[in-house]
Amino acid sequence: MSLAMARPDEAARSAAVRRFALADGLFRGLTRAAALLVLVILGGVVVSLVEGSWQALSTFGLGFLATETWNPVTEKFGALAPIYGTLVTAAIAMVIAVPLGIGIAIFLTELCPRPLRRPIGIAVELLAGIPSIIYGIWGLFVFAPFLQRHIQPAIIAATKGIPGLGQLFAGPPYGIGMLTAALILAIMVLPFIASITRDVFETVPAMLKESAFGIGCTTWEVISKVVLPYTRVGVVGGVMLGLGRALGETMAVTFVIGNAHRIAPSLFAPGTTISATIANEFTEAVGDVYTSSLIALGLVLFVITFIVLAAARSMLLRLERRAGG
Amino acid sequence: MAYATRRLRNLVMMTLCVVSAAIGLGWLLLILGALLYEGFSGLSVAVFTQMTPPPGEAGGLLNAILGSLLMTGIAVVVGTPIGVLAATYMAEYGRHARLTQVVRFINDILLSAPSIIVGLFVYELLVRRMGHFSAIAGAVALAVIVIPVVLRTTEDMLLLVPNALREAGTAIGAPRWIVIRSVAYRAARAGMITGVLLAVARVSGETAPLLFTALSNQFWSTDLNAPMASLPVTIFQFALSPYEDWQALAWTGALIITVAVLTLSILARTLGGRREGR
Amino acid sequence: MKQDMSLAMAAAATRDAPAKIVVRDLSFFYGQQKALKNISLSLPEKSVTAFIGPSGCGKSTLLRVFNRIYELYPKQRAEGEVLLDGRNILDRSQDLNLLRATIGMVFQKPTPYPMSIYENIAFGIRLYEKLSRSALDDRVEEALRRAALWEEVKDKLGQSGLGLSGGQQQRLCIARTVAVRPKVILLDEPASALDPISTAKIEELIDELRADYTIAIVTHNMQQAARISSRTAFMYLGELVEYDDTQTIFTSPRQKRTEEYITGRFG
Repeated sequence: MSLAMARPDEAARSAAVRRFALADGLFRGLTRAAALLVLVILGGVVVSLVEGSWQALSTFGLGFLATETWNPVTEKFGALAPIYGTLVTAAIAMVIAVPLGIGIAIFLTELCPRPLRRPIGIAVELLAGIPSIIYGIWGLFVFAPFLQRHIQPAIIAATKGIPGLGQLFAGPPYGIGMLTAALILAIMVLPFIASITRDVFETVPAMLKESAFGIGCTTWEVISKVVLPYTRVGVVGGVMLGLGRALGETMAVTFVIGNAHRIAPSLFAPGTTISATIANEFTEAVGDVYTSSLIALGLVLFVITFIVLAAARSMLLRLERRAGG
Repeated sequence: MAYATRRLRNLVMMTLCVVSAAIGLGWLLLILGALLYEGFSGLSVAVFTQMTPPPGEAGGLLNAILGSLLMTGIAVVVGTPIGVLAATYMAEYGRHARLTQVVRFINDILLSAPSIIVGLFVYELLVRRMGHFSAIAGAVALAVIVIPVVLRTTEDMLLLVPNALREAGTAIGAPRWIVIRSVAYRAARAGMITGVLLAVARVSGETAPLLFTALSNQFWSTDLNAPMASLPVTIFQFALSPYEDWQALAWTGALIITVAVLTLSILARTLGGRREGR
Repeated sequence: MKQDMSLAMAAAATRDAPAKIVVRDLSFFYGQQKALKNISLSLPEKSVTAFIGPSGCGKSTLLRVFNRIYELYPKQRAEGEVLLDGRNILDRSQDLNLLRATIGMVFQKPTPYPMSIYENIAFGIRLYEKLSRSALDDRVEEALRRAALWEEVKDKLGQSGLGLSGGQQQRLCIARTVAVRPKVILLDEPASALDPISTAKIEELIDELRADYTIAIVTHNMQQAARISSRTAFMYLGELVEYDDTQTIFTSPRQKRTEEYITGRFG
């Protein structure tokens, strides 16, 4: 009994108290500094991009964004072709990947036999983590030659003379080109969009779906009238994240786009994207204006993706809040 | 609408969903199949024991593999503590602070920002100042990618630690930092390791940030101040070369990366398996 | 019956016992909302004081003021005075870690730390004392014995505390609280998540601890309050309605609301 009542030495205690206060202050400061470092990194990215592109932007002005010329010899640079290529390939990729991705998500949440749901879902998530260079190398060695030999000639022949379509699919079948890059991008963002959409679908309360089934809705009606409206914000957010990826993707595109600074009406023609241009030319760029123009391209890409990603994140955040509250 | 029409429409849409799943998954299987086929045909002991060869000669990927391991290792060692500490601030000390919301938003942007931008950033930050490409610049670029991944998973895991446990730690007189170290970190340990593994998986396939930071090196080098080969950059160069030996090595390298990344992801998943989804 | 006798005697003794904790005009706020309204009372030393009342009446909030655990969360604040041995613990200069080492707390749900049984106890001791390995072993054993857990766990001290049953986990939590040798022990519904047998063990334990510690217990179980406490406070809507010897509260309460509550007419 008396042993239990013996209090620890008061001096030792107050020494411990002082030590704790000091260590806690230090640790707190350390964690706060690390959190601030994240902001500093983003700030550093912005500053270094602006600084690096300053020369190009001051030389070419805003015309940089609207000029198609990209001529290292005369040192005349314009970003229009890469911007066009970036937007077009990403747009085509999304047109293909979004319906497929949502289809896969519906398949996984509603149609897939139960025992297969988890394995297939996990497989999709794993595929989303495969490095993009893998998609690039496959595109270069397998997909592009296949398109060149079997698909492109047929499409060119079929659309010849048709106004509009004829121009869109004109020219010799190179294999590589805008459309090939867009298709590779599509297949690369597909697992990503599918797994996010599935996650979002799974936030729908079971009761909501059951009550819709309960009044005799078909599966499609439940999806289109209950699941999709309920998850709209999240699905759009997920799609935008996918878009952000497609816009900034480097390796999957660089292999197969052909790296031509031209805006051609044909989707079979080689083109370029911002990231592909940087990846291909940066180490070989001679002269400050050239390098600076490439960094300016990076700045443009950063601004575009920042807007898309910020929109995506705030949408997903809204969904999270609703799910949480 | 008549019931028959509704059923027909349902049938059509559901068929489309199955078809899209078949197309999507089939396509991905096709890629993996080609990778396995091409990659395995070039796989030999030499790949792991010899340096990258000049065109037309036999060789392996040893320097590229070791370069990747070295730079990934440094990136994780540098990036993990920063990510963990920042997440600690956000989930523990500053859970209700305005700074936390800002950092969370910015971190999410960094998490999905194009990695080539990170490469440009580190080029401006280090390569230009040092005057040459170097392994250390490559490692820093990878660390910038590690931080947001680790931060995000660590914060998520710490937020899952019940407040009751923190209160219990606090209630016997432990200061906050000891509660965090001995109670919160311990309770969140599995998830935090998962985050690091995911970061390694993510980083080990990254090519774009290394292109103009670490560049590449045909020879064996452990000099952090000099250019260093890495598996992804070597794949990039070899695949785009006109030489068949190099292309074959690129396929094999791609297979090695894929196997490594998948292994890491599966490992991470098993460790963090107690938690459903993401 | 025998316990009733001793309780009555204990109550008689504590009426004149010196006050360990004195609460003066204490109010508590969650943001704008006032959760405790001008509470004043004093807890006698080395006795068990029970706090009863319907959920949301502020009894747990009051307990959480005693060790200022509420400070983990923003927008919660206390006004007034809480004197421990004559010193105001709400004072800004009060070191919180030291306060919590002096006033231990056991929670409603058993919360073993994610470490071994041994470490669960040793963790708190090591914070403030540098002991040799054998001295530490002794302290761990002593704490586990006091919590009547030693015999059950002495062969598996290295195993995780999470592997114990709910009742054992709660006794482990009491053991680790006792291990740091506090002066006051706060118990926040310590048995509400447990089965009747474990509850009985916890109550027995509290009865033994009363000899050495000042104990404050929040409970929604009125029989429990009647069984183990010498003084009982009845709270309602953030106010202290009545505070007296347990026997008085349960046999001849002065307030109508107290009577209604203990006879089960509301709450």
